[in-house]
Amino acid sequence: MAKTWPKVDLPDYPDQISADPRQLSITSEELLKMYSAMRLARTFEEKLAALYRQGKIFGAVYLGTGQEATSVGTVSQLQDGDLFSTVARNLSAWFYRGVKPEHVLARWFGKDQAPSNGRELGLFLADLNEYGIFPYHNGSMASWIPAGAGYALAFKMRKQPNVCLCFTGDGATSPGDFYEGVNFAAIHKLPMVIICEVNQFAYSTPPHLQMPVKHVADRAAGFGIYTETAFGNDLFTVAAAARRGIEHARKGNGPALIEFKTFRRCGHGEHDDMAYVSKELRSFWEERDPIAMYRRWLVERAGIEEGNLTKIEADCERRTDAAVEYAESVPFPKSETVVERLFAPSPHDPTDDDRNRGVEPIESPAIPALTAAQDRSAGGGHF
Amino acid sequence: MSQTTYLQAISDALRAEMRRDPNVFVLGEDIGVFGGAFKITQGFLEEFGSDRVIDTPISESGFVGAACAAATVGFRPVVEFQFIDFIACAFDQIINYAAKCYYRWGIPMPVVFRGPTGGGIHAGPYHSQNPEAWFAHTPGLKVVLPSTARDAKGLLTAAIRDNNPVVYLENKFLYRHYREEVPDGDYVVPIGVGALRTTGSDLSIISYGAAVHLCVEVARTLEKEGKSVEVVDLRSLVPLDRETILSSVKKTGKALIVHEANITAGFGAEVAALVAEDAFEYLDAPVRRVASLDVPVPFSPPLEMAVLPSVDKIADTARHLLAY
Repeated sequence: MAKTWPKVDLPDYPDQISADPRQLSITSEELLKMYSAMRLARTFEEKLAALYRQGKIFGAVYLGTGQEATSVGTVSQLQDGDLFSTVARNLSAWFYRGVKPEHVLARWFGKDQAPSNGRELGLFLADLNEYGIFPYHNGSMASWIPAGAGYALAFKMRKQPNVCLCFTGDGATSPGDFYEGVNFAAIHKLPMVIICEVNQFAYSTPPHLQMPVKHVADRAAGFGIYTETAFGNDLFTVAAAARRGIEHARKGNGPALIEFKTFRRCGHGEHDDMAYVSKELRSFWEERDPIAMYRRWLVERAGIEEGNLTKIEADCERRTDAAVEYAESVPFPKSETVVERLFAPSPHDPTDDDRNRGVEPIESPAIPALTAAQDRSAGGGHF
Repeated sequence: MSQTTYLQAISDALRAEMRRDPNVFVLGEDIGVFGGAFKITQGFLEEFGSDRVIDTPISESGFVGAACAAATVGFRPVVEFQFIDFIACAFDQIINYAAKCYYRWGIPMPVVFRGPTGGGIHAGPYHSQNPEAWFAHTPGLKVVLPSTARDAKGLLTAAIRDNNPVVYLENKFLYRHYREEVPDGDYVVPIGVGALRTTGSDLSIISYGAAVHLCVEVARTLEKEGKSVEVVDLRSLVPLDRETILSSVKKTGKALIVHEANITAGFGAEVAALVAEDAFEYLDAPVRRVASLDVPVPFSPPLEMAVLPSVDKIADTARHLLAY
């Protein structure tokens, strides 16, 4: 018996980018930078998947194939001093911000590469100073929404005109942490922007089993915050929606929740064959691949010479190959370092002198009693 | 030096650190306008303003996550849990965010989680717990339990200046039931150094938190019976002052471990294992423990007192060991 899927209502998203290049004030250099970041992520991830299948990667591999426009379109709108967090599928955002592919791959290989030095998976990076990527707890993708509120609180306390941007997903709008973080940020009008990539499946669970409303944006009403829903595979639609959300937050108007409809074109991890996704849905989104759409627009609408793009594509291949070479050359962390860096040094860490304090007596011990009347201690009353 | 309650010592240390360092701020439920359920932060809102004394919504996971984040960009937040029982609502952020951040990426997170623990005040199952073992079991968290007003001040000062997440567990019975001379001005007790509350040669009683008071009372009772008991107060479970435990047990040859948290998988089991592993040849008796029974802390006073360790229960076990 042939497998059947629940009926999917396909949205009416276009299969080409609609922006008029004459209306966009973006230099061709910037256009190519965005293409390069998206293309590098795709090439890098294809290589990563191949290495995984060859058994050269420890653990699982998670890819962001199909979500490159949401990542790059959004982070292209950040300014100096802004912070952001990513999920496993925002590699193109890292590359746009200058993270080196060879360093990423060395971490995937479990090598002695800063800042995690083998302690954390390759898909999780925090580097406040270099890239503005804040440290987060990745047990659940909702769990860093409270952290995002904390960074936004820090900006507000310092009267610093920056925003904190948190990528998350549709499934992550179900746990309580999402609400606790948004609630706190909304109460204090904190400059936090949530970018919710609705990629159609939380692992295998579709949105209609994840939430009783049609859009993540519908959830924003409970907090009275700014929200938008937009097509996530059109780079310029993404950039414009992200910009409006970021500006709203930067002006001190409180958090923004920007929802992008997109599609995870690969499994949750490379171990997942996506048997739960209908062919119809796959084809619909394959025809709307964000990189293919953007490439077509660059050549057909923006007048970019195809040769420039093939050069970038060759460069992405070269950089990916070089990343493999580099990652293989980096040594593994020494096993004896495993207990290092558990605690940061602190000003009052004990010294040998501290250990000779003599007897420090308790003159009149406080003893709980059965009744207040029996209480012999200095207090009185139970509290 | 001035006579200060345990509660006032906590309040004094917090206020002094907020005056000293503008990056210290406090957040929690009802800590601003109301001054905290136990009045630790009374007057703080007036002195430091609502930017640094933040009344939060009832959402422990939310404000703990926010505090942890602010701690990685130069702030030193001190989170108050109204009762430590509610720390369970923020467990995920503490275990999976705070405890692991420095290990994962080398980014320090100087944040203090503090709140009232313990029974003996007839507050029932949700306002009487002792959760130290949950946190001591998680690498990356320091766990501190002051038993005196001096330590309450000195350890909180050290905790706020520490560059790591510190779980600072106060005892709500001691808040207003214990007072002593506390040094004025800057006073630090380093985290990771135990204290001797009495010295003795016949038996070591190893304890921490409010239970130390019971142990001191037992030592005095037994002194009248001609026995010499040494009471070791751990003060912090992580880092653990192994040297003080081992040197005491090697001297007396007998170890009794006492804590208020329930016995099974309590921190006393860890101390017993340490003694068994590293001081076995010095022991003249089995290692024994006195702790709460393995039930939730009940409300009704006779039930509650039946659950908690007491001077009599500890003294009985101590006499058994002394006679062994």
